Amino acid sequence: MTTNGNTVGENDEGQDGKEAPYAAEQAPRLHWAKAAPEVYKAMVKLEAAAGRGVDPVIHELVKIRASQLNHCAFCLDMHTKDALAAGESVERIVQLSAWEESQHFYTAKELAAIELTEAITVLTDGFVPDEVYAKAAAQFDATELGHLIAAITVINAWNRFGVTTRMTPGHYTPGMYK
Amino acid sequence: MTARAWQVPQEVYRALAGVSAAAKKALDPTLTELVMVRASQLNHCAFCLDMHLDLARDHGETEGRLDLVAAWHDAGDRFSERERAALALTEGITVLTDGFVPDELYEQAAKHFDETQLAHLIAAITAINSWNRLMVARRTAPGETEWHS
Repeated sequence: MTTNGNTVGENDEGQDGKEAPYAAEQAPRLHWAKAAPEVYKAMVKLEAAAGRGVDPVIHELVKIRASQLNHCAFCLDMHTKDALAAGESVERIVQLSAWEESQHFYTAKELAAIELTEAITVLTDGFVPDEVYAKAAAQFDATELGHLIAAITVINAWNRFGVTTRMTPGHYTPGMYK
Repeated sequence: MTARAWQVPQEVYRALAGVSAAAKKALDPTLTELVMVRASQLNHCAFCLDMHLDLARDHGETEGRLDLVAAWHDAGDRFSERERAALALTEGITVLTDGFVPDELYEQAAKHFDETQLAHLIAAITAINSWNRLMVARRTAPGETEWHS
């Protein structure tokens, strides 16, 4: 086994030719924020409105889980880095995609938020089940729930822009958009 | 069934309305409403379907075409190539958990819409997906009046 010190974007021919190079980085399909700047501005406002009142730790978990389900590479790059920068643990981030089997890594409130995130994200397979909603409603009051559901909806929106326009992951540094 | 107890925060409602308005600005309303109807079908949003079917009719859409939106792919020449490209893109962006937005589908849309139009179309599809999520999560009934205010 060799040590691979490469990070995305810095890959060359590998070490002594023993390791295959990484695949080439794909260019974005469209710079949507430049093509529709007023939409981008409106999205930033929406993000701020939704996030107000959502616990920042829960908010990042929600953003990461939705981005996993929607396969948004750019969003995963951004939100895992943001979560780590805010002090989130690597293991809680890694376990998130298997949270049903690693519930002891999370609080009941976090689990209710994660489960609600899944139900609202995978909407084409069904509705938001009563039991999932009830668990969330037991953990969050109506005002908190309004913002949590809004936050889940908004990360789903960013995921759609990210995946559709193929925004490139790997270049995000926490705080760069603030 | 009654709506669930939470409310969409007023500032979120306004901000999302801002995204929708910005998105629609560059698009033809008939095309926009077809997209809204198709996304709302896929996301099972009763409130949104009711609203956008009405808006489509207001913009002069025919019942015959609205009946066929769910099966546009095999609806022959009832929908133009441009509309078909937009509907295919709508499906790709809406059913995101099943995969990515395929190249073929994206390229087809890029043939019919210039970059400005395409960015706005993607935004419109994203915005209706957002409304679908809020209304389904709240179980808002069709025609519930507070949402028209």
